[in-house]
Amino acid sequence: MQTAPLPSPAATAAPSPAATAAPVLSLNNVEVIYDHVSLAIKGVSIEVPQGGMVALLGANGAGKSTTLKSISGLLRAERGLVTRGEVHFMGHNIDALAPQRRVKLGIAQVLEGRRVFEHLTPDENLIAASAVRGSRQDMARNKDRVYAYFPRLHERRTAQSGYLSGGEQQMLAIGRALMTQPKLLMLDEPSLGLAPFLVAEIFDIVRRINKEEGLSVLLVEQNAIAALEVVSHGYLMERGRVVMHDSAEAMKQNPDIQEFYLGGAKGHEFRDVKHYRRRKRWLT
Amino acid sequence: MLFRQAGIFHTDYATNRALFPLPADRWMIIILLLLALSAPFTMSSLLLSTNVLPWLVWTSAALGLNLILGWAGQFHFGYAAIMGIGAYTAVHGARNGIPWEIAVVLGGLMASVIGVVFAFAALRVKGLYLALSTLALQYVMDWVISHVPAISGGTQATLQAPGMRLLGQAVTSEIALYYVALGWCLIVTVFMLNLRRTALGRALVAVREKDFAAAVIGVHSLYYKLVAFATSSFIGGISGAILIFTFYRAATPEQFAVNVSIELLAMVIVGGLGSIIGSYFGAAFILLMPGLMNSLIAWVAQLMGAALGVEALAHIPHAVYGALIIVFLLVEPMGLGKMYNNLRNYLLVWPFGYARK
Amino acid sequence: MDLTLFGELAINGAMTGLMYSLVAMGIVLIYKSSAVPNLAQGAMTMLGGYVVLAIAGGFGAPLWVAIPLALATMFLVGVGIERVALRRLAGRPIIMILMMTLGLDIFVRATSMTIWGGTNRPMQLGISDTPLFLGPLLLNRTYVVGAVVAIALFVLFLLFFRTRMGIVLRAISDDYTASWSVGISVERGVALSWALSSVVATTAGVLWGSVQGVDQSLALLLLKGVAVAVLGGLDSIGGAILAGLLLGIFEGVASGYLDPLVGGGSRDLVIAMTLILTILIRPHGLFGRHDIERI
Repeated sequence: MQTAPLPSPAATAAPSPAATAAPVLSLNNVEVIYDHVSLAIKGVSIEVPQGGMVALLGANGAGKSTTLKSISGLLRAERGLVTRGEVHFMGHNIDALAPQRRVKLGIAQVLEGRRVFEHLTPDENLIAASAVRGSRQDMARNKDRVYAYFPRLHERRTAQSGYLSGGEQQMLAIGRALMTQPKLLMLDEPSLGLAPFLVAEIFDIVRRINKEEGLSVLLVEQNAIAALEVVSHGYLMERGRVVMHDSAEAMKQNPDIQEFYLGGAKGHEFRDVKHYRRRKRWLT
Repeated sequence: MLFRQAGIFHTDYATNRALFPLPADRWMIIILLLLALSAPFTMSSLLLSTNVLPWLVWTSAALGLNLILGWAGQFHFGYAAIMGIGAYTAVHGARNGIPWEIAVVLGGLMASVIGVVFAFAALRVKGLYLALSTLALQYVMDWVISHVPAISGGTQATLQAPGMRLLGQAVTSEIALYYVALGWCLIVTVFMLNLRRTALGRALVAVREKDFAAAVIGVHSLYYKLVAFATSSFIGGISGAILIFTFYRAATPEQFAVNVSIELLAMVIVGGLGSIIGSYFGAAFILLMPGLMNSLIAWVAQLMGAALGVEALAHIPHAVYGALIIVFLLVEPMGLGKMYNNLRNYLLVWPFGYARK
Repeated sequence: MDLTLFGELAINGAMTGLMYSLVAMGIVLIYKSSAVPNLAQGAMTMLGGYVVLAIAGGFGAPLWVAIPLALATMFLVGVGIERVALRRLAGRPIIMILMMTLGLDIFVRATSMTIWGGTNRPMQLGISDTPLFLGPLLLNRTYVVGAVVAIALFVLFLLFFRTRMGIVLRAISDDYTASWSVGISVERGVALSWALSSVVATTAGVLWGSVQGVDQSLALLLLKGVAVAVLGGLDSIGGAILAGLLLGIFEGVASGYLDPLVGGGSRDLVIAMTLILTILIRPHGLFGRHDIERI
C-alpha cells in the first residue's frame, strides 16, 4: 500500500514552478456533513497525478459521489458542507469557490445519471456548456473536438436530448464536460445502466482523451472490473473512508478486492460468502 | 427545562403512540385548555370577539387546508371558495328553517361535493398546474357567488345570517359564540392530531411523497386524493359557516375572494406545512401581525413627526403582510411550527445539548 | 348573427389578446429560463407603469425619456428580486416558490399603493383617440400599437433564445445542478431572466396604462397573463403570442354575447374557464414542452 504524502505548507501556499510531479488534485483529510447532521465522508485524502487516471471504487453509500461533489462544489446545492480538510487543485485551495469558478479553473464533473439538458438538442447542450470558455472560435473548436471523439453525437446533433439512448446521453454528458476545456475530468458512474459493450466503448474514449490531451481523470465506479482495466491507480472507499489505495494491477490481484468487488467468489456457498463478507469488511 | 424526557420509559405501544407521550406536554395542553375555557372571564370582551374568536375559526380553516396541502401534498389555491360554499349553504339552510346544526353540516357536505370537483383537477395534473387550475376555479366560484342573486342574496349582495340555535338553545352572547368557535377548533385539532396515527394519514403522506410510488405499494392514490379533498373541504365548509355565524354575522362574496385563499395559504406556509401547532401560530401571525405593525409604523411616524396619509396607512398592513411571507420563506421555510419544534427539542434535553439525537 | 359586430369583437379581441401576450411573455420568459412560475407579473406590470409616471412626474422628463429610464430601473429591480427573494429558494419545492411570487405580488402592489395612492393616473402616450378604420371595423389605435410591440418583442425573444445566452438560460431551466456542473452561473442567468421579464412588464405597463390609466387594476392582468401563458405552453414565446390572439378573440366574442345575458363582468369568467379547460385537456398548452416524470 502506498501512503499519500502530506502536502508541505510551502506547497499549499504557492504552486512550485517545478510542479510536474505535483498532483493536479489533492484532497487532504476532507470531511463532509450534510444538513448539519449526517456525516457523509470522514477524512478522505486522495490524489490525482498530472495526466493520470485514477479510479475511486466502492459500494453504494461509500461516499464516492460526495467526494466528487466536494471537489466540484456541488455540495452546496444539496446542503452539504466541507467541515474539515482541504481540497487543492493545481496548488490552489478551492474550498471557498463557487462551482462555476471551479469549472473555470478546469474541473469538470460528469454527473451521475447523465443529467443532460433534456429539452435542448445535443448541439445546444454543448453550446450551453461552453459558456465559461469565451470566444466563438473556442466554442467551434471544442465542438469539433467533441464530435471527433463522439461521432454518434454528431449524427444526432439536432435530436432532442431527452430522447437519446442511455449511451448517447452518457457520451453527451462527457462531451458537455469536455466543452469546458477541463484539466481534470471527473466521471460519476458513467457505466450506470449501460450495456457492457457500451461501457467498454465509453471507457476507451475516456482513455483516448486522457492519452491524447493529457487530461487527468478521476473515475468513480461501482463497476470495478471495467474501471480497473483503464486506470493506473485506484482508491477503495467504504463508509466514508478510503480503505485502500494501490495500483490498478495490485488491486486486481488483491484477494479481498477480488472477493468483494470483482465477483471472484466462485466455489463458495452463497451463505458462506455473506458471512465471510460481513466478517472481513474493513473498518466496521 | 420544562420538557424532561429523563425517566420516561414506554413499556407498551399504546403509551408510546399516545398523542402526547411526555407528561410535560400533557400538562401544558391541560393548562392551555383551561386558559382557553376561562378566556371569556379573563379577557376583555373586545379582545375576545375581535381577535381570539376569529383566530380560532381561521385556525380551523388553516388546519383543513393543511390537511390537503401539508399532508396530502395537493395544492389548493381556492380554499376560500370552498369555505364560501359551506358558508352560503349553511346560511341559506338556516334562513329556510333548517336547524342550525344540520344546516352547518349540510354546508360542510356541499363544500365536500364541490371540493371533489376541485379534486378532479388534481387527478389530472399536479404541482404548478394544479395550483393554477384551483386558482382558476376560485375565480369561477367567486363569479358564480357574486353573479347569481339566488346565492349572494340580491343586488346589495349581503346575506344576513339568522340567529344561531344550538341544540334548541339560542346562542347569542359573545361568550357562547366563543365557545362554539373553540369547540369546532378543538374538534378539528383532535382530528388532525389523530390523523397521523391512522391508515388514512399514512396513505396521504405516501401520496404526498410520490403518488406513483404510493400506487406501487398498494395505496390507491386517486382514491386518497379524492378523500383528502373531500375531508379538507368538509372542514373548510364548516369553518366558513362558523365564521359567518360567529364572527361576520352576514355573508358577502368578498369574504371568500381570491385574496382570502392566498391569506389562508400564507397561514399554512408561515405556520409550517403539515404542522398542527404551526397552523395556530400561522393564523395568529397573519391575522394580527399586519395590524400590529401598522400601529407600530404609525407610532414611529408620529414620533418622527412625519405625517402618513390615510391611504398609506391603509396599505401598509398589506405591504407588511407581503413582506412577512417573503421573509418567512427566506428565513425559515418550514415555518413557525418548525421554529417551535427546534426550541422544544432544545429544551427537551437542556442543559445537556449534546444528548440530542 | 351580425357579422360586423362579430368582426369588430373579434379583431378588437385579437388586439387586446396580443396585449395580454405582453404580460404572458414576461411569465414565459422567467419560466423558460428558470422554471419559476411568476405570479408577480401582474404587480410588476403595474409597478412598471408607476415607475414611468414617477420618473416623468418627478423629474419632469418627457415620456420618451422616462420610458427608457424606467426600463433600465425595472431591469435593476428584476436583478434585485432574484438576489433578495429567489436565490435562496433555488431547489426548494414549487409551493415555496409559488408562495414567494405571491408574496412579492402582494408586497409590490401594497407598496406601490402606499407610495402612489389608489387614484387612477392617466398615461398620455400621444396616441390619437380617433379609431382606425379598417373597412367597416373600428380599431383602437393603442391596441394596434400594443399588438405591434408584442409581435416585435416576440421576434426579439425568438432570436434571443437561439443565441448562446438564450441557450444557457434554457439549460438552466432544465437542470440547475447540471448547469452548475458545466460552469454556468445559474444565479446570474436567473437574474437576467427576471430583469428581462421586468422590462417586458414595464412595456406592458406603459401600453396598458395608456389604455386604462395606471392604477391597481393593472395587477389584475395577472390572471389573463397566466391564462395566455398556460394556453400557449408555459415555455413557449410563440405560444404566448398565438394563445393571446386566440384568447383575446374568444374572450371578446364570448363576453360580447354573454355580457348582455348575465349583466356584465363575464370576461374574467371566460378567462378562468379557459385556464381550467386548458389545464385539464392539455396541461402543457398548445406548444409547451411535455415534461415526463421519471420513476
